[in-house]
Amino acid sequence: MYAVRCIDVRKIYKQGDEDVIGLNGVSIEVEEGGFVCLRSPSGGGKTTLLNVMGGLDRPDSGEIWIAGKRIDNLSKAPLARMRLHRIGFVFQAYNLIPVLTARENVEFVMQVQGVSVVDRKKRSLEILSEVGLEGLEDRRPAKMSGGQQQRVAVARAIASNPAIVLADEPTANLDSNTARHLMELFVELNQHRGTTFVIATHDQMVMSYARRLIRMLDGKLVEDIDQEAV
Amino acid sequence: MSITFRLAWRNIWRQPRRTWLTVGALVFSNILLIFLISVQLGTYLMMIDNTLAPLTGHLQVQYEGYKDDQRIHQAVPAVRGLAADIRERLSLETIAARGAAFALTSSEDRTYGVQIIGVEPEFEPRISTLPGLIKEGRFLDDINAPEIVIGAVLARNLRVQLGDELTILGSARDGSFAATVVRIVGIFESGMVELDRSFAEIPLGFFQDTFVMDGAGHTVVINAQNLFSVSTLQQQVQALLPDMEGLVVHDWDDLQPGLRQAIQADLLGAWFMYGVLVILVAFSVLNTQLMSVLERTREFGITMSLGLTSGRLGWLIMLETAMIGLLGLGLGVFLGGLVVYWFTVNGFTYPGLELAAQFNLPDRIYPNLNSISLLVGPCIVFLASLVAAVYPAARVHFLQPVQAMRAA
Amino acid sequence: MGTASIVLNLAWRNLWRNYRRTAIMLVAVVVGVWAMIFMSAMMRGMVDGMLVGSIRSLPGHVQIHNPNFRDDPTVNNLFPSPNENLIAVLEQEDVVAWSSRVRVPAVVMSERNFRGVTLIGIDPVAEVSVSFVADDMTEGRFLLGTEDTGLILGRRLAERLETEVGKRVVVLTQDPSNEIVDRGFRVIGVYEAQVASTEEIYAFVGRSTLQTLLGIGGQVSEIAVLGADYRDTEALYHRINAAVGNRLEVLPWYELNRYLSSMLGMMDGFVLIWIVVIFLALSFGLVNTLMMSVFERVREIGLMMALGMKPGVILGQIITESLMLLGMGLLIGDVFAWVTIQRLREGIDLSAVSEGLEMMGAGSVLTPSLQASDVVLATIVVLVLGFLASLFPAMRASRYHPVDAMTKV
Repeated sequence: MYAVRCIDVRKIYKQGDEDVIGLNGVSIEVEEGGFVCLRSPSGGGKTTLLNVMGGLDRPDSGEIWIAGKRIDNLSKAPLARMRLHRIGFVFQAYNLIPVLTARENVEFVMQVQGVSVVDRKKRSLEILSEVGLEGLEDRRPAKMSGGQQQRVAVARAIASNPAIVLADEPTANLDSNTARHLMELFVELNQHRGTTFVIATHDQMVMSYARRLIRMLDGKLVEDIDQEAV
Repeated sequence: MSITFRLAWRNIWRQPRRTWLTVGALVFSNILLIFLISVQLGTYLMMIDNTLAPLTGHLQVQYEGYKDDQRIHQAVPAVRGLAADIRERLSLETIAARGAAFALTSSEDRTYGVQIIGVEPEFEPRISTLPGLIKEGRFLDDINAPEIVIGAVLARNLRVQLGDELTILGSARDGSFAATVVRIVGIFESGMVELDRSFAEIPLGFFQDTFVMDGAGHTVVINAQNLFSVSTLQQQVQALLPDMEGLVVHDWDDLQPGLRQAIQADLLGAWFMYGVLVILVAFSVLNTQLMSVLERTREFGITMSLGLTSGRLGWLIMLETAMIGLLGLGLGVFLGGLVVYWFTVNGFTYPGLELAAQFNLPDRIYPNLNSISLLVGPCIVFLASLVAAVYPAARVHFLQPVQAMRAA
Repeated sequence: MGTASIVLNLAWRNLWRNYRRTAIMLVAVVVGVWAMIFMSAMMRGMVDGMLVGSIRSLPGHVQIHNPNFRDDPTVNNLFPSPNENLIAVLEQEDVVAWSSRVRVPAVVMSERNFRGVTLIGIDPVAEVSVSFVADDMTEGRFLLGTEDTGLILGRRLAERLETEVGKRVVVLTQDPSNEIVDRGFRVIGVYEAQVASTEEIYAFVGRSTLQTLLGIGGQVSEIAVLGADYRDTEALYHRINAAVGNRLEVLPWYELNRYLSSMLGMMDGFVLIWIVVIFLALSFGLVNTLMMSVFERVREIGLMMALGMKPGVILGQIITESLMLLGMGLLIGDVFAWVTIQRLREGIDLSAVSEGLEMMGAGSVLTPSLQASDVVLATIVVLVLGFLASLFPAMRASRYHPVDAMTKV
């Protein structure tokens, strides 16, 4: 079973008057429990690929399957429901709701999912302690370091027990030490929970954690290395 | 409190100054609307009261067609008996019978045409303010006495004083000449020139003798407890009338059609002003909410990536607007209520108002504060704020996640 | 000079940076200014209607009476018909028309009914240009000369008397020795006044006919003088007053009808209050918009200061933006208001509430009347209060410390 599967996905953007190729026939499968890094220079297509995988953006052609379900032809509402239950996102920075505390940020997703108040509170505290934020539950994002904020974002992403977490340059705004800790958290969650991770990055350190490393250029896959085999 | 509520509440306080300015605009217009609507209501009620109180009353029983033609033979038979009957059956004291005729009224050296009204001295003071406006002498007290009370302007025009005699010359119901001499026992002054110049009252029994009315009169005037119970009373009176006599019950709107229309004409202008005020406040809300939405575009993108539909985010904007709106409503009603309450107790005036007697208005205005005048304006402002937020909310509704996250 | 053009240029471009916000605010200002001007014109139009109607329905702009006439408006207080001197005074250029009248209380009796009226003896030729009667005739003919023996009634009075054109009625009145005099008249015409209650009050006959009936020779009750504009009767009034001397009483319309003149005065107050209220309603949005635009540009303002721009220039910059926005709003709003008023030049038909308007003394057609002074007033109020309202956000902007401002996110 694949966590995510893309078949000949194409996507063209308009930038001003020019057409920019985002994805040019990408086919890729990520197995459940995988830990994959996507690397490419800026504009190589990794963010676009993450967005179409997560149902944030629709491909011009091709198919996207998440946990055995085709999603590229879904309409707005079912797509949102799919994101809510099956997919977690972590972005570069500033991706928390600034007026909510750490715990509320996590609970917010659960509330939308319809989790009861009691369960919500219990689980959000568990998850926050799992990502190492015990004692910081009631802080607002502005009062936390960049690393702590990213941990909240991770906690929020895994709160729904998603099949797959898509992370776009999660360490870009972190110093190398904090970044290393975040990656260790990812690995731990991958191993203990079996959550699938797809991480777009151009940080060598991040790539070193990946079991599978995929290189993209101009919207195409150019290299797919199984690092464990190596 | 659910997180959505908390989220909305905290969002509106991200820019406290902006929120307070918007709330300020709402409060400002709410206070203004409460004040204006209360003043209007107060003025209208006083205008109606002051117009109806001297003569018209709330309801009149008349012979069909009398209202328009006012011919002396369009009479109500046995008018005093009818009035007494209605009085008893409704156990209502504010009922009195009248007769009316036009006559030449002459003093020693002047003659004027005057409306002569025959009244029941016992009951007239209960339905009319004129007996209370006697400035000199007294009101009538004997239903058959050859006495008259006249207005101050008429007294001046006729060059007469209290105790002088007047000759009344008119045509009686049977077409013969009606002529009599009466003594002036009272002079009233209402401040309304038209009333003080062209009306005089004599006792109804004497009136019936003079104009050969044979026990008939022209109207039974009935006053309700207040304006709002008039229509119920009208139905009750209608049911009490003897059949087959061509009698009708007119309410004050029939009798003084100008009154309602004067109010409507004034309302026309007032609604225009209120409309403009509400629209301007709505623009203020629109601007604030649009700014707040544009600032948060990126954040909305992230929230959508978590699996929230843009529809829900649209509702979040409506919820935030409703909170700002309610804040403006609450504060506006509270402060507006306080301010206007002060005026309802103390009243106010403005230069030029002393001449408002021509509109049958007093020279001091007391706003009428009730649940309607207190809430109508603020509720409309609240609804207008929600309507104004539809555009910003719709913008969020049609937001695409990727596009939103690219926003700065 | 250089700074000024930079400031103007920057202000203009900054306004359109967030075009949505500026556009919304601009629309709000336009609506506000439109409402200010339009509503003022409507209020003025209402009072104008009342005044013109009231002046047409007899007083003229200036009236001459026997000093006792106003207290006791009867046949006992007359004055001799105008002599050469007075006529010379009245035949000047600032007098559009004048007419002398006899005015007495009377009773009109038909076969069926009778009513009290004010009977007015006129010179129909002179009266045509002074008052309404000739224009408002709906049936029959107007009087032909001072000797005409016909009678003109209002429509309502004719209905009350159950009479009509061609029928005879009897008019009763008193001569100077208080004797009742009467004479038969044929109803030759019926008029319909703008304010229907007028129709019950006034009846008209030829002046000489009435003078003969009363036996008063050439004496008259009043002379009504019409000038060019009711707003400007001061000079006319003073000239006539000086020429006539104190044997006769000369009064301008605003003394004759205190109610109307005080309405006119109150309207000035209402217009000002209305303009200020509208501006206050706008000001919250204005301050908000300026604050937002200052907050967004904190870093930029810091940079400008770091480059050596003085705080005063920053202050001027924000105020210039505000005044530019208000200026545009004023211009567009004025144009819209003008177009609206032009389209309504024929008047708005309010006959649905005509009896109510009549109670207020106005006719059923309301014509907005645009006064230049109201436009000027609105412009001054908007710009002056707009300047004051922008001071607060502008002062905040000018007080930033360059380094703090630039490091602010």
